[in-house]
Amino acid sequence: MTNGLKRILLAEDSPKDVELTLAALEEHNLANEVVVVHDGAEAMDYLLRKGKFEGLPAANPGVVLLDLKMPKVDGLEVLRRMRADKNLQSIPVVMLTSSREERDIVESYHLGVNAYVVKPVAFQEFIHAVKNLGLFWAVVNEPPPGSVKKAA
Amino acid sequence: MSVLAGLRQLTWMAALAALCLPAPAGAVATAGSAHEYDLKAAFLFNFAQFVEWPEDAFPSPSTPITIGIVGDDPFGTSLDEIVANETVHDRKLVVRRYKTVDEVDACHILFIGHAESKRLDRIPPRLGNHSILTVGETPDFTAHDGMIGFQMAKNRLRLRINAPAARAARLVISSKLLRQAEIVGSEKTR
Amino acid sequence: MKAPRGSLQHKLVALMVLTCTAVLVMAGAGLIAYDHVSFKETMARALGTRAAIVAANTTGSLAFENPDDARQVLAALGKDPSMTAAALYDAQGRLFATYPANLPASAAPRAAERRSIHFDKESLVAFEPVVEGGRRLGTLYLRSDLQALVVRERVYALAVLFAIVGSVGVAFALSTTLQRGITRPVLALAETARHVTEKNDFSVRAAAATSRDEIGLLTEAFNDMLGEIQERDLEIRALNRDLEVRVEARTAELEATNRELESFSYSVSHDLRAPVRHIAGFAELLEKRSSAGLDDAGRRYLDNITDSAKRMGELIDDLLMFSRMGRAELCATHVPVETLVADILREMEQDLKGREIEWKIGALPEVQADPAMLRLVLTNLVSNALKYSRPRSPAKIEIGAEPGDGETILWVRDNGVGFDMQYAPKLFGVFQRLHAADEFEGTGIGLANVRRIVYRHGGKTWAEGEVDRGATFYFSLPERKEAA
Repeated sequence: MTNGLKRILLAEDSPKDVELTLAALEEHNLANEVVVVHDGAEAMDYLLRKGKFEGLPAANPGVVLLDLKMPKVDGLEVLRRMRADKNLQSIPVVMLTSSREERDIVESYHLGVNAYVVKPVAFQEFIHAVKNLGLFWAVVNEPPPGSVKKAA
Repeated sequence: MSVLAGLRQLTWMAALAALCLPAPAGAVATAGSAHEYDLKAAFLFNFAQFVEWPEDAFPSPSTPITIGIVGDDPFGTSLDEIVANETVHDRKLVVRRYKTVDEVDACHILFIGHAESKRLDRIPPRLGNHSILTVGETPDFTAHDGMIGFQMAKNRLRLRINAPAARAARLVISSKLLRQAEIVGSEKTR
Repeated sequence: MKAPRGSLQHKLVALMVLTCTAVLVMAGAGLIAYDHVSFKETMARALGTRAAIVAANTTGSLAFENPDDARQVLAALGKDPSMTAAALYDAQGRLFATYPANLPASAAPRAAERRSIHFDKESLVAFEPVVEGGRRLGTLYLRSDLQALVVRERVYALAVLFAIVGSVGVAFALSTTLQRGITRPVLALAETARHVTEKNDFSVRAAAATSRDEIGLLTEAFNDMLGEIQERDLEIRALNRDLEVRVEARTAELEATNRELESFSYSVSHDLRAPVRHIAGFAELLEKRSSAGLDDAGRRYLDNITDSAKRMGELIDDLLMFSRMGRAELCATHVPVETLVADILREMEQDLKGREIEWKIGALPEVQADPAMLRLVLTNLVSNALKYSRPRSPAKIEIGAEPGDGETILWVRDNGVGFDMQYAPKLFGVFQRLHAADEFEGTGIGLANVRRIVYRHGGKTWAEGEVDRGATFYFSLPERKEAA
């Protein structure tokens, strides 16, 4: 298996945050395979190829970047559902969120999150963090089988 | 006077004479010392204190107690001295001297000396119906109805009292005086 | 109940018996004294009468100079064994007759002029003039011993003594019985009081007073008092219940407020941060994209925007941590400070690179504290020390501890820029700073945090410093946890 760029699923409700995150990923040429959803429901739809994502080829993203605070279905709920689903449970999930609240961290790990990253305010740091995340999960890490690869 | 009576008188006088013989001569028949008669004078005075006379013996409250001496006066001045200024039972005392018994009138105490005693065969119990305390110094004075007899013995003057005789004269002799004396009664009448 | 030593009952009985005894003794003494005097008088009178009688009986003996008779009269005196001597003198004072007949002349005194009766050391002596019909005939002298008096006194004293003893015995018996009337209510009262205190039962009452005396009044007052206490007690209980209800309500209020605050800071941590992040992010992106087209001022403006956003982010973070410190649970255990400090220094290795620092770490004891919170405190103080001693080379940092009165005092000392003591009160205030941000970075929340934590442990914080001569920051931790 070659180390290609894996698809990244970004679940983030704030457009500004989306733009920033994409800009950060762009810095390191990781932005190509990013699918953006704006809330937890959409995220589930995408993962399950439901709703407006029906018909898409079945392929799990290499990593899911989840925000906690999202309308309709929040990050923890998405995580829970993902971990409950046999097909989805092995997808690496990174909480990428503003909250440093202990209970969020605890709950997330309890539900089986792979990483928990607090979005730094300083943009440079943000870029740095995103780069590291992207490099690791989207490039270095060997995804669970079933993940789609770019230009295979 | 019968012959018997005359004989008795003679005997009596003889006896008396016999008794008087050893006595020393002298007008005053002093049978002892002056001391003796001082004592007797004092006693005479004292008799007044210890004898009670009947009421009619003193006609008035101021009537003095009379001490009479019959016959020779052996006291000299002693009786007068003792009696002077004294009162017994609030009565003064006077001393009277009589030559003979017959002369005696109102008198309370009568001292009959030796000589006179001898002359009398008996002391009349009632001299003129007066209650008179008769005092003598002869030994048989009280035997012959005399009431108080002096008896000189060893410088002590003893008394002999004829209580009945005193009683007959309505005299009350104090027991205090009686105690000091030998009490006798009269001899049986002759 | 059996009366203890010195009890009221014993005291009452003792009181009555003592009073009785004292009174009886005094009365007895009085009686004895009176009797003594009276008896002597009687004796004297009797002797006087006898002398008069004998004198009257001897007038005749004296008047008629009959000592025998006088002797007889005097001898009659011998019937009375108390007569020890008699003598009759004539009017001239010469001895006339004596009793006993062989009485030596030395034993008979000189004839007295006047009638007299007086007490000698051991005898009663009388002189009686012998008079008949107002005429003094002599003098009589009589002497009797005092045996009768002695015997009488003895007997009398004994009788009085027995009477006293008997009476005291009766007094004792009577008082032992009668004192019950007084002590019973008192004891009952004491018993009730004891019951009340032991069982905390205010509903009992002492047996109603049967007498109108002071004890009765006391019992009444006691009962009234119990009634009052009972009322108060009920009031207090009601108030307590009230209070508890109110406290519960208040606690619920507080808890609600706390929860509000929690959710508030939760929101802040999320919602407040996001825009800040956006500002910083886009400002930087803008800079990247258009820095070529911007002049110096424009670039500077952008920098300012970024810096400000960053600063705001720091402040928010610090504020959040401060509030979390206030809300978190404090779990005190034994914390070996030495190990903790070593740990902290190891963590700070990165920050220490390139610095010349002289460490002086004293013997650090074990304390009772929440380990995480204590770590925060020490980290804060040490990093402050490092920060403010940056201009120094070498920087001297001292960490020490000493035992206090029921507490341990720890300090961190540096030889840095120090501070003016007049600003000391401000040091531990929230967001209070004594230096400009460009001199020394920081939000000013660190020491506020330290104080918050130390206070929650029941300790105190204080500092000493001198401008340019360094500073020492102290805090104390009590031996036993008295956490808020």
